[in-house]
Amino acid sequence: MNPLLMSLLLIIGLGIFGRTMYYKIQLLLALGPVDPANRFNNIVERLKNLVILAIGQKRLVGRKREWIAGIMHAFIFWGFCVLLIRSISLYGEGFVKGFQLPIFGHDGLIGYLYIALKDIMEALVLFMAAYAIFRRAVLKPTRMHNTWEAYFVLVMIVVLMISDLMLDGARYNLITLFNNPDHLYFFNNPKFGSEFIWTPVSVGAASLIKGLSAETTSWVLTIMFWIHITTQLVFLNFLPLGKHFHVITALPNVFLKSLGYPHEKAAVLDLENEAAWEDETLGLNHIHQLNWKQGLDLYTCTECGRCKDVCPAYLTDKPLSLNEFNDDLKAELFNNSANVIKRANLAANLNGNGDAEDIEAIKTQMAELNSEKSLVGDIISEDTLWACTTCRACEQVCPVTIEHVPRIIALRQGQTLMAEAYPKELNVALKGLERNGNPWGIGYDKRADWAEGLDVKTMADDSDVDYLLWVGCAGSFDDRTKKVTTSLVKILQKANISFAILGTEEKCTGDFARKVGNEMLYQMMAEENIATLNNYKVKKIIAACPHCLNTLKHDYPQMGGNYEVIHHTEFIDQLVKSGKITLNKSFEGSLTYHDPCYLGRYNEIYDQPRSLLNSVAKDGLKELDRHGKESFCCGAGGGRMWMEETIGKRINNVRAQEIVDKKASTVAVSCPFCLTMIEDGMKELAQEENVKTQDIAELVANNMA
Amino acid sequence: MKILTTVKKVVDVELNIRVNDGAIVEDGLQYVINAWDENGVETAVQLKENNSAETTLVSIGGDDNADMIKKCYAMGIENGILIDDPALANADSSVFAKVLQKVYEKGEYDLIITGKQAQDTDNGQAGIMLAEYLNIPCVSNVVAIEVMDDSHVKVSRLGDAGTEIVELELPAVVTVSDSINEPRLPAMRGIMMAKKKKIETMDLSALGTSIDDLGGADLQSEVVEYMQPEARKSGQKFEGDAAEITAEVVGLLSNEAKVL
Repeated sequence: MNPLLMSLLLIIGLGIFGRTMYYKIQLLLALGPVDPANRFNNIVERLKNLVILAIGQKRLVGRKREWIAGIMHAFIFWGFCVLLIRSISLYGEGFVKGFQLPIFGHDGLIGYLYIALKDIMEALVLFMAAYAIFRRAVLKPTRMHNTWEAYFVLVMIVVLMISDLMLDGARYNLITLFNNPDHLYFFNNPKFGSEFIWTPVSVGAASLIKGLSAETTSWVLTIMFWIHITTQLVFLNFLPLGKHFHVITALPNVFLKSLGYPHEKAAVLDLENEAAWEDETLGLNHIHQLNWKQGLDLYTCTECGRCKDVCPAYLTDKPLSLNEFNDDLKAELFNNSANVIKRANLAANLNGNGDAEDIEAIKTQMAELNSEKSLVGDIISEDTLWACTTCRACEQVCPVTIEHVPRIIALRQGQTLMAEAYPKELNVALKGLERNGNPWGIGYDKRADWAEGLDVKTMADDSDVDYLLWVGCAGSFDDRTKKVTTSLVKILQKANISFAILGTEEKCTGDFARKVGNEMLYQMMAEENIATLNNYKVKKIIAACPHCLNTLKHDYPQMGGNYEVIHHTEFIDQLVKSGKITLNKSFEGSLTYHDPCYLGRYNEIYDQPRSLLNSVAKDGLKELDRHGKESFCCGAGGGRMWMEETIGKRINNVRAQEIVDKKASTVAVSCPFCLTMIEDGMKELAQEENVKTQDIAELVANNMA
Repeated sequence: MKILTTVKKVVDVELNIRVNDGAIVEDGLQYVINAWDENGVETAVQLKENNSAETTLVSIGGDDNADMIKKCYAMGIENGILIDDPALANADSSVFAKVLQKVYEKGEYDLIITGKQAQDTDNGQAGIMLAEYLNIPCVSNVVAIEVMDDSHVKVSRLGDAGTEIVELELPAVVTVSDSINEPRLPAMRGIMMAKKKKIETMDLSALGTSIDDLGGADLQSEVVEYMQPEARKSGQKFEGDAAEITAEVVGLLSNEAKVL
């Protein structure tokens, strides 16, 4: 077309884009001091995630609740993927008239298929972008916040599609109506026919301008070409400036997602490291302490609001809106980007410098580069930070796999360890944990009182057993949950399982201490428990609480505690499947199931509880609207069990109401926290007589043959 | 202002305490800071934070008290003194008060804060006796304290008739109630820093006294024997028709319990 103009546009467009990207990447690499876990291992699994989650758009298309929006987004995305090839071809055309790419630009089958696909995709993208504008302007889904930015990008997409279709339309008219005065290239393989048989949309576009003269049509072609190229370059440069950065970062972000555990595990902090206390590097205290993956998460957040749409805190009017949370952190990061980079350069100098005075001077300089705003308080409010139940619904639904919860835990660590600014109402439970190994602070020597008369061995009596039954604090001390423990024991004894408990030697796993950022107390609990477990050479553990399960299974290996840990519902299911327990379908009434977050979303145990419930319920299991991966938290996770819920509606009441509305006569649970919360919710709604809350172990024990 | 606060290590009353042969069974017991003393420490730390005070803590016991003292450091106490002397093993409140008197005289404090009593013996005497021996004013069961000037504090105490507001000239002793505050958890950073902090440990001779001087040879009170309280009998549950149950309960109350 015009090599000079093309070169100029590309130099400006790509030059500015390159500079922006260089700066964004430099900022990411300046983040630290702690790197995330290895994000470049298991390439095959990562590629699989990339294909399923990113390219396949699984969380958009595959979500029943919003599949239309999902399809809309997916087609725009897929369309862009297809059009990338077309763009390269157009850039070539800018330099060399009649430029064609190898394979795609030749009149073989692939060439024909590609132009057909491109043609239909442009129509689809156009349609979807138009729908997106309609959806934003008219339907206005509550989770989304409308910005001019979003409309601007959608309009650019529309312009891109129309300009390319009109370009091809003009080409078609010039070739077919005006005898191809410019000698334009087009496919005309005798085997597949003319190119235009394959591109009905472009031909349709052509019909809109068929009244124009040859000269005007030729002008249309040229103008559409340059509009398309210019819009593309403006679009490219606009992306990194806001939420549309995800167009570039989503694929790498999904590729680099956490594997093996749903999000980055909390690091075992070195609390003995004096420098860490002085430099305030324990927990997340300053914006530069985000790790690069967390930075990439912020770049990638699209502010789509799906996270808050499933967030128990947000939905009950707590001041926690995760996309705003991301947005606020991102703004703080960008506001401090120059200082963060300077700081990282200074830190690099620090490593190679041995002179104590110089080190002090550099440290002072570094401290001066800290943001003037405090991360919690100025950027994120305290109420926001402590509202999270760590239920992971946000992460499960996030199309670009952002890890929200580890950041919240890290911020809480900073608040608890460095700033001493955690909710003081936690003190009673924390003190109870420290003194007696349980959040109620009940004497540790009463921990095994529930087992009196049940003929349950302790490991101290006999450690030559197949399984350790990890009872947990609630199962040991809470009167209601003790009944669950008793039922579980009844099942294990019926199946002749060789098991023992730790009795008074068991302590809280430290789950809640860790989730409220009290790493010191968590480590204390973990060290003591691991010493006890390793002393008895424990190999297999049946955990009666999903929070204990999660901590024993995923956190303790970080500190040298490696066990095979299984939840009681998994274990009972195995007993049933292997014929050691026979169930009667004798449960009458309408039964539903509330998935605990730490069993479901954290440990992917969805089927076994359902299998058991279906085996006992005469009428089968009736699912709640929010179940499985999108189950709604009871409100007790993340240490919330030990805090008052003073803002907004109570999460447990909302969940209880959902269960009542489902007309269930019994709701099954498999977590002591859920049991307490749902049962309390039922009491609050004066429904405890109509809807019973029971653990699966109780339902199984009552319906065994 | 110089504040002296006292802390006693007591058995964790959350545990089942068992008695065998007139003595407490030590096996399985754990010891914690006396809850009221913890309120006292919190009071001292708050006074330090809000007024420029220097805080010192004194505890009587063995070197296993060190952990507790370091936790108090982590709460914000600056100096710690441990009086560790085997001669004090059987001491009573009066002897303890005299030990505290010696500590006071060494340091010349303005305000002494103690818990109103200890969770193990529930005597509630040491603080009051100390004031008596020092011949300085004392207010017990204090629920609020406010510094007026360098030599006066205003305190509220819960008395039988209600809350009494008392102005005290310093030096003085106050013994605090658990409703005065909610003790903070030891600061984590403080716990780390406290590891290296020293505790000034003294025996009676270092304190310039002896067990005889303190009246330890001729104790005014002595523990003779411990006894296990009788286990509470479980209650009786009545089910059925309300009218019948009422009749049955009234019958039992008048015939068996003989309270009607």
